[in-house]
Amino acid sequence: MRVFAFWSLVTAILVYMTLPTIVVLMTSVNPTEILAFPPEGISFQWYQKAVTYPDFQTAFWNGIVVTSFASTLALIVGSTFAWLVNRYEFAGRGVLEAVLWSPLIIPHFTLGFGFLLLGGAFRLQQGYVMVVLAHMVLVMPFVTRAVYVSLANVDGDLSRAAANLGASPFHVLTRIELPLVLPGMAGGWLIAAVISFTEFTASLYVTGSRTQTLPVAMYNYIREYADPTVSAISAMLIIATTLLMFIADRAFGLRRVLAIDTH
Amino acid sequence: MTRRRPFFVTFLAPAVVTAVILAAAILEVLQYSVREFIPGSLDVGGFTLENFVRINRPIYWLVLLDTFYISLLTAVFSLLLSYPVAYALVRAKRDWVRSLLISLSITPLFTGEIVRTLSWMLTLGADGFVNSILRKLSIIDMPIQLMYTRFGVVVALVQFSMPVMIILLATAISHVDRDCEKAAANLGASPTAVFWRITLPLTMPGILSGVVVIFAWTMSAFSTPQLIGGGKVLMISNLAYLQGFSVLNMPFAATLSLIALVAALGSLALMKSATGRLEKRLAIH
Amino acid sequence: MNPSNPADPAVEIVRVRKDYGSAVGVADVSLTVGRGEFVTLLGPSGCGKSTLLGMIAGFVDPTAGKIIVDGADVTQVEPYRRDIGMVFQSYALFPHMNVYDNVAFGLRMRKLSKAEIDAEVRRVIEMMKLGGMEERRVRQLSGGQQQRVALARAIVIRPKVLLLDEPLSALDKNLRAQMQVELSDLHRKTGLTTIFVTHDQGEALSLSDRIVVMNRGEVQQVAPPIELYRTPANGFVASFIGEINALPAGRYEISGGEAALVLPGIGRLTAPARPEWRFGHGTEVRAFLRPEHVQPAGTQAGDAQAGEGANRISGVVAAHVYQGSHTITRVTVEGIGLVETRVTGAEIMAEAPVGAPITLTIDLGQAVLLGEG
Repeated sequence: MRVFAFWSLVTAILVYMTLPTIVVLMTSVNPTEILAFPPEGISFQWYQKAVTYPDFQTAFWNGIVVTSFASTLALIVGSTFAWLVNRYEFAGRGVLEAVLWSPLIIPHFTLGFGFLLLGGAFRLQQGYVMVVLAHMVLVMPFVTRAVYVSLANVDGDLSRAAANLGASPFHVLTRIELPLVLPGMAGGWLIAAVISFTEFTASLYVTGSRTQTLPVAMYNYIREYADPTVSAISAMLIIATTLLMFIADRAFGLRRVLAIDTH
Repeated sequence: MTRRRPFFVTFLAPAVVTAVILAAAILEVLQYSVREFIPGSLDVGGFTLENFVRINRPIYWLVLLDTFYISLLTAVFSLLLSYPVAYALVRAKRDWVRSLLISLSITPLFTGEIVRTLSWMLTLGADGFVNSILRKLSIIDMPIQLMYTRFGVVVALVQFSMPVMIILLATAISHVDRDCEKAAANLGASPTAVFWRITLPLTMPGILSGVVVIFAWTMSAFSTPQLIGGGKVLMISNLAYLQGFSVLNMPFAATLSLIALVAALGSLALMKSATGRLEKRLAIH
Repeated sequence: MNPSNPADPAVEIVRVRKDYGSAVGVADVSLTVGRGEFVTLLGPSGCGKSTLLGMIAGFVDPTAGKIIVDGADVTQVEPYRRDIGMVFQSYALFPHMNVYDNVAFGLRMRKLSKAEIDAEVRRVIEMMKLGGMEERRVRQLSGGQQQRVALARAIVIRPKVLLLDEPLSALDKNLRAQMQVELSDLHRKTGLTTIFVTHDQGEALSLSDRIVVMNRGEVQQVAPPIELYRTPANGFVASFIGEINALPAGRYEISGGEAALVLPGIGRLTAPARPEWRFGHGTEVRAFLRPEHVQPAGTQAGDAQAGEGANRISGVVAAHVYQGSHTITRVTVEGIGLVETRVTGAEIMAEAPVGAPITLTIDLGQAVLLGEG
């Protein structure tokens, strides 16, 4: 009885958590603008409208460009930094760590505003450079964490053994350590890419109409129109991210990368 | 240290450059917050503390209070709804149940705030899912107002915050020594007593950090109050955006952004010291 | 529940079985524990002893069988209604409570009055020599003190049975010896029926009234320590309790009062027949010999030649292990493998260096003989 009540409660909570997603998916295939229950059929017209709408097309490619640059830069800077933190004690390490972790705490609108003002100071406002920099800073903690966790799991004796066998520091890094943390790096990059591609608040500040990313274009659309075209885009994003995360979990052990600990 | 440190400079340089850029962006906000606003111009004037004095007006205080209130409600309800899920996720006996629970509770984290906010707009709107169902069942004849209310904003924010809360609570619950629960049962504690006297107290540090993380995180929420609040529910983020992009008062927008940052940092610092003391008391680590 | 009848045994385990999927955790175990008895479940890890203990405490549901405590069937009773005290291997002290609250927990669950609780807790805290530590956090205690708190917490509820799940395994060697003595004292003072689980035969031999030897989920033998050591029921018990040499199977011959064991290619061992050797003439038996019942007969080459014959086997010294008061010498014997002897003093190391030939006298009269199959 107690067990039944508990699992009913858990199920009800999960329904609350997943209901909005189901509503979006249903709306996206609804034949009319007004959602009706039970649905009066299935139509893919909103998907067609979504993929042919010029603003979404531009925003999609902007997003791809920004995400690729931002997550790759974050991967390079984040992994080297994680390696450094794992390996060396040095003056100012704590400060540097605190600054680079801070985007997890700083409100995105504060950060976005900061990059907007910074861009203004260098006459780069609303250009790709500022957008990429802002995104890179935002997603870097996730990459750093993923690589840091993988590095911590690498037995330090492996590197010492390689050095003892005559491997130069460069060879220890590229032949021993890099292959061992590669899954962590790949997982971290993927999470960074997904976060960057779907980031909205900071992007709203730093992008202009020329450089707007998909979430910003969706926001602008919602303010103008009320048809399910955005639901179609949302449905595609939901399916794509779910698939990506599923693959990430299978390939790199997402739970390890996120450090979710259930046992 | 006289030993060589391979790659030290090569690997340090990019991190330092990134940190400097980030610091510069935040310093720009700080710099703008102490500048004079010149109405009708995007340029700013000289040094002033006027912007911080201006906060001291009831309309701004109310927004700050509302931000606190919404964040507090969100954190508390997020805790109440996440604990059972986290508990089930850790304690489920079957592997597939655990996997299902993890997928269902974590995936929403990655769809992004616009998609999630839109989903709630479609669910809560006058023609949305909830109202349609209620009308279909003839429970109501007029749509009930869910959008543009504090209730609607909190309902959405709680759902957004749950994945993070669940992760934090699940970690805490998984660290509870099962033998302690067995020992309590052996000493005569019913399952209910075991939960209230053993499991819950031992997960207190996780609960505390979960509540504060979500509190701080919700204080910086933007898109949900912006779209679901629709101007009727204003949080500090919306006020900052309004000041910056409608009134074009960049200095005051900077001041508000800075206050949000300080509030987030402050609550996390408070939590750090509180959990630190709690964990010491429990001697958990 | 029926009022308990003093004639009932404290615990009766009736054909209890636990399957894990297709694997068997505990296979049809039956056992009766008398009132006030100290019984040890002994066996290697995975033998089912902890599962059995878990079933008595109520944490593991048996697949089949009954568990009767004080005359009442408790098989379906929830753990928290069983009134069975338990000390966990990890102690499982509540980290968020001090010593006093840990000990008082069970009494509070029983809704005793504050005064009663206080009196009982103080009494047990005194008994366990924990006076003055009431306010301490459990993580500030030493291993031995934690152990005492765990015991105090379990006995304060006046349990019908006290279960101890390898409670000494986390302690270092000296402390373990001391806690063994304290456990014995506690048992004498309280008269509590105690079921103790361990994989350490030394602990089992020194503490128990009776020992239940388990292997692969099955009870191998139930007997008092001395009987177990002297007359193990089978090869597993023989080799699990103490050091023992297992000789290969041989032919048992009996004529008059004289028994003989013929080991093909090794020799013939004889001894006056013992009453428990009820083997037929010509049957196959195996002999198990403690190292103290194998002694060097001579170390000179000549001795070795002359020594061929009754109760003697020859081999080559493989290693010496000096242990202070005595020396363990391992001898390679063709057809057997390594045979261990235990000799007082250290002289043997000089007399028969590694690699030297050696003749061993075997005292078959002290051997444990077991029929094949």
